[in-house]
Amino acid sequence: MMSFSLWDIVRNLLVGGALTLLLSLAAFVLGGATGLAVLLARIGRRRAPRALARMYIELFQGTPLLLQLFTLFFGLSLFGLDVPAWLAAGLGLTLFTSAFLAEIWRGCVEAVPRGQWEASACLALTYREQMRHVILPQAMRLAVAPTVGFAVQVVKSTAVTSIIGFTELTKTGSMIANATYQPFLVYSLVALGYFVLCYPLSHYAKSLERRLHAAR
Amino acid sequence: MSSKCFFRTLALVGAVALGSLAPVAKADVLDNIVKSGTIKVAVPQDFPPFGTVGSDMKPSGYDIDVANLIGKELGSKVELVPVSSGNRVPFLTTGKVDLVISSMGKNAEREKVIDFSIAYAPFFNGVFGPDDIKVAKVEELAGKTISVTRGSVEDLELSRIAPSDAVIKRFEDNNATITAYLSGQTQLIATGNVVAASVNERSKLRRLSTKFLVKNSPCYVGLAKGETALQARVNEIIAKARKNGALNEISQRWLHAQLPADL
Amino acid sequence: MPSCRQTFDPRAALVRPACAAGRRARFVVMAYQFDFTFVPDYAGMLAQGVVYTLGLTVVGGTLGILIGIGGALSRTWDTRPFGELFRYYVELFRNTPFLVQLFLIFFGLPSLGIKLAGWQAAILAMVLNLGAYSTEIIRAGLQATPRGQIEAADSLALTRWQIFLHVMLRPALRKVWPALSSQVVITMLGSSVCSQIAAEELTFVANFIQSRNFRAFETYFLTTALYFALALLVRQAMHLVGRYLIVRRPSP
Repeated sequence: MMSFSLWDIVRNLLVGGALTLLLSLAAFVLGGATGLAVLLARIGRRRAPRALARMYIELFQGTPLLLQLFTLFFGLSLFGLDVPAWLAAGLGLTLFTSAFLAEIWRGCVEAVPRGQWEASACLALTYREQMRHVILPQAMRLAVAPTVGFAVQVVKSTAVTSIIGFTELTKTGSMIANATYQPFLVYSLVALGYFVLCYPLSHYAKSLERRLHAAR
Repeated sequence: MSSKCFFRTLALVGAVALGSLAPVAKADVLDNIVKSGTIKVAVPQDFPPFGTVGSDMKPSGYDIDVANLIGKELGSKVELVPVSSGNRVPFLTTGKVDLVISSMGKNAEREKVIDFSIAYAPFFNGVFGPDDIKVAKVEELAGKTISVTRGSVEDLELSRIAPSDAVIKRFEDNNATITAYLSGQTQLIATGNVVAASVNERSKLRRLSTKFLVKNSPCYVGLAKGETALQARVNEIIAKARKNGALNEISQRWLHAQLPADL
Repeated sequence: MPSCRQTFDPRAALVRPACAAGRRARFVVMAYQFDFTFVPDYAGMLAQGVVYTLGLTVVGGTLGILIGIGGALSRTWDTRPFGELFRYYVELFRNTPFLVQLFLIFFGLPSLGIKLAGWQAAILAMVLNLGAYSTEIIRAGLQATPRGQIEAADSLALTRWQIFLHVMLRPALRKVWPALSSQVVITMLGSSVCSQIAAEELTFVANFIQSRNFRAFETYFLTTALYFALALLVRQAMHLVGRYLIVRRPSP
């Protein structure tokens, strides 16, 4: 019952890896949607949402993900909400991702030359029209590479959720390391798992960046 | 990031934290268990023989058997929630689980925040290490490094009695505590005697032989404060299991020993 | 427990009145009672945790950036075999989580006969991690050096090293310093997972306090605020260091 064959280790790690992938995808998609909302508030014309968005970004970029997760996991329960580990992990990563993506995308919007704003204003476009037809399309082109690059960070960040007990790749790894007492083997396999998930992404991000620079 | 912004953000967070407080529904936990037909029990997954995982990643062990026993008596489905020593009390106080059956000892600090059942398992904790390190009593821990799980009875006890130049390395969970010792990161380990025996059974890396025992600290089921109905029911179930031999059977299976009569 | 509580009143309807005397920060909101009275007892430990975390950051940051400079140099000039080695090193460390690196170093390396204490493993992981990131960041800065600058320096008969130091490195660092600062802050915040290998930094202290007073929410909330302040501090410090070392220093 207690003996783990190499296949047992790999098989269980694959299950954990699938959860890591799922969590990353959820965090990236939901975080992207939230991040877009935060971005629009952050670069909008109204002061109050702009200040709020700025605080939101500062808060999630200025504190450790681990403590955000702890606070969510144990904090929300105090208010009568039962938050299981997977939900706390998903929610925490979504908030974290949205703050970083909003800030990355803001940089891209600001990188659109001022002349574009002025020219589109001359065409009597409203703020919304300027955004929709002139600024965002150009910003999006700039944003693709760093966004894919940040996806790598999201995948890696999911490792932290193991500490609140979400059994993704790292947690599965430490459970097996304890059952087999072969930490070097197990953690090497875990690292390999992350590498397999992350390397193609960061490679892709790099080639996108190169193409973008070549095009300009 | 300006400091003005920092304070504004801090104020905002404070306001949100306080403003969003909804009243916690404080119903009778036993009622809820009976109504929903499930009971959530915090169990260890890194503490053989009380709780560990097999190659199917399912927890099994003494604590899990006791959880299932209590669930059967209550007529509810048991939902096992793996926890570490460090966070099992918060799991209970924040209502994430109904019971903690996680080889937990009783002490005054804990009794301030949670309630306990009667004892369900024997547990002697002590200091263990390889044969070539000579330590026979607590004073001789001076200058030695000892791994221990943060917040466990061993941790609290050793922190109190160990000489000031003993280096106590506190790890988040038993996984890390045991691995740290086995990989040679610490010279000694403080844990339960049956845990040491179980680790010896499963690993040839570094033997754990008994240096000295620290405390007799039987395991209790932890409950949220004030849940008297549930407490009475759990006590009743454990008392019955002690009498009819069900608990002894569990002890035989996992500890390879009779349940002590004076538990 | 003192019998007198001071109530904080964010929502009058929800808050039970309690006696007003006493200066302790304790307030009651319905069922859950916030209790920050543990803070004075653990202030010393928290301070130690802050110092430990800062220490990790300073050592990790300094050595990491030095490795980054070396790495960027070998990658840019493609010095064999270092250029190639640094490429593998950067890819390896940028594509695996810090926590897993930490576990491998602390729990894994002993089976190869390399034993590191918690703090040594933590520092090593911080340095290697920051080294990998700063290699990439600084390399991007170096690549942006206009060719004409180097040719001009060449024609002034500057040596290869002088060109590297004054014409390439300094402007590159100036350009990428904000990115490097962000990376140092991110790594500092990431160092909270070092608590998992018993390195006694700030999160370790938080977990320790939490395991003694069982006030999980208050402890983590307070620690989060401390990290926030630390992030602010480190960012400011990086700004000052940058100004002193890169911008203001007179050229020889």
